[in-house]
Amino acid sequence: MLTQMIFHSWHRNPRRTALTVTTVFLATALISALLAITVSVGDQMARELKSYGANILLEPAVDGDYLDTQDLPRIKEIFWRHNILGFAPLLAGTVTADDGGEVAILGTFFDQPLPVEGEDDFHTGQKIIAPYWRIDGAWPDDARPEALAGARLAERRGWRVGQTLTLAGARPVVLSGILESGGEEDELLVVPLALAQELLGRPGRADAARVSALTVPENRLSAKARANRDALTAEEYDVWYCTAYVSSIAHQLEEALPGARARPVWQVAASEGVIVGKVQLLLLVATLAALLAAAMGVAALTAGAILERAAEIALLKALAARPRHIALLFHAEVTVSALLGGALGCGAGWLLARHLGQTLFGAPLAMAWITVPGVLALAVAIALLGAWLPVRQIAALAPAEVLHGRR
Amino acid sequence: MNIIETHNLTKSFGSVIAVNDLTISVRRGEFVAFMGASGSGKTTLLNILACLDTFTSGEVFIDGHNLAALDEEGRRVLRANKIGLVFQQFHLIPYLTALENVMLAQHFHSVTDEPAARQILGDVGLAHRLHHRPGALSGGEQQRVCIARALVNEPPILFADEPTGNLDEENECNILALLQDLHRRGRTVVLVTHNPDLAARADRIIRLHHGKVFEP
Repeated sequence: MLTQMIFHSWHRNPRRTALTVTTVFLATALISALLAITVSVGDQMARELKSYGANILLEPAVDGDYLDTQDLPRIKEIFWRHNILGFAPLLAGTVTADDGGEVAILGTFFDQPLPVEGEDDFHTGQKIIAPYWRIDGAWPDDARPEALAGARLAERRGWRVGQTLTLAGARPVVLSGILESGGEEDELLVVPLALAQELLGRPGRADAARVSALTVPENRLSAKARANRDALTAEEYDVWYCTAYVSSIAHQLEEALPGARARPVWQVAASEGVIVGKVQLLLLVATLAALLAAAMGVAALTAGAILERAAEIALLKALAARPRHIALLFHAEVTVSALLGGALGCGAGWLLARHLGQTLFGAPLAMAWITVPGVLALAVAIALLGAWLPVRQIAALAPAEVLHGRR
Repeated sequence: MNIIETHNLTKSFGSVIAVNDLTISVRRGEFVAFMGASGSGKTTLLNILACLDTFTSGEVFIDGHNLAALDEEGRRVLRANKIGLVFQQFHLIPYLTALENVMLAQHFHSVTDEPAARQILGDVGLAHRLHHRPGALSGGEQQRVCIARALVNEPPILFADEPTGNLDEENECNILALLQDLHRRGRTVVLVTHNPDLAARADRIIRLHHGKVFEP
């Protein structure tokens, strides 16, 4: 009987039902899109922020020592190996140039192929971890005697793209491009690592390596680990270790390369955390605003429905229906509308998220199916929250006044 | 034995006294008409007796139950078990069929019993209109559905508020005949009307004027 009443009354006023469905639809479309963005914004923003440089610096554990470049592929063997976007070893020194003067060189990877299990055609180097480097000319080939001249160095020495330099008295090197990084590299001649090792007489060695890793924003747990890792409980340690904090990735790099010390570049890591945190807070506020607006819309529609159906409610009370029975009717109606609006909203939210992802991050955001039941539950919660206050009026409605036209 | 009793019953709406120190009684199985002009307090009295409204002072007993001692839930239970209501405007749910409208009263009383609902609609002459919605029924048929709904839970008291007010003469006669038949079969019927011809069909007329019993 109740089911029949819900069914009949639900589609008896198609305009009101459509408005309720639309209200919930708009809110859930927005909320599911924002949820998709919230879920992905950490990764997406982290990728975006990677353009500002590496966030971990690997150095020898003992001052004056070197890293063994043969060990570096182990960087891609840690637990969070898939979060390692790339790395570039660094070897600095000075050599003599054509004019007999000394020139500071930096050996590194530019776009070095590296065999990595599970990742075909993995390349690493400055091209990946320092996308903000502006090159006038072309990136050097790691296998050939080519170099980038820092912009200030090239200007001072009058070097041009395509010019061949003779280093260390006998080694010809072609300037493939002029580098403008805004940093110390503008004063250096940047060459392939193998060439630097040969010129400096340090085969298989590197002073340090810059690592670019996708990380999650710092939080209280990572801050605690950063202050004193030994203070973590076993459970906290497991959570910290299995979360892609910059500190836990740095720790795993130290485990993989025993002779190395990994130092997070906190400026970058902290910026990521702050920006992602603020973006997520903004999305949360927008979600709450959408929830509130939808709940108010449903409240207005339910209040209208109760006013319109006052005679019916009064009759049900006269027939000895309990107020909660009548309230159940209205709650069931808005729940059905919410489920329909929520289902449509999930679909629209997914399309919106794809569009926003494409616009904001240059790639469509994947649908997080796990959010669908959550969004549906939220849709029902919006509707019930909105209907709650007006439905309370049912208890106060006096059947005698309504049935005899005094109200 | 009295099934309805009031002692010094008063109901006021602010400064307006609708029922004024009223003491009346209705015997079990009696057919009584409350008669009076508009504003005489007859509908207010019916609402109080039907447990649809509260009162300001005095005492009301329905089948031995003191209404003053009952809370809203108690009045609801009493209404479900003791009282059937017939309205001038029928108040049928427009999207339910005649049968469903009758079964609705069963639902809120206890459990639905379709054969019993069909039987009661057959008793009021609507066996062929079970699956029609109110919009497809005449005024007289709608009022008979309303009476069937009032009777389906077999309450001992039937309150009918201007039951023929929206009907033509032929249907008026049919409905009155139906009420008289119910009375003959032992039901207590309380009819509220301003029409002296209708009131004359009752065993007894209680005339009201300004909320008091008026003896001409």
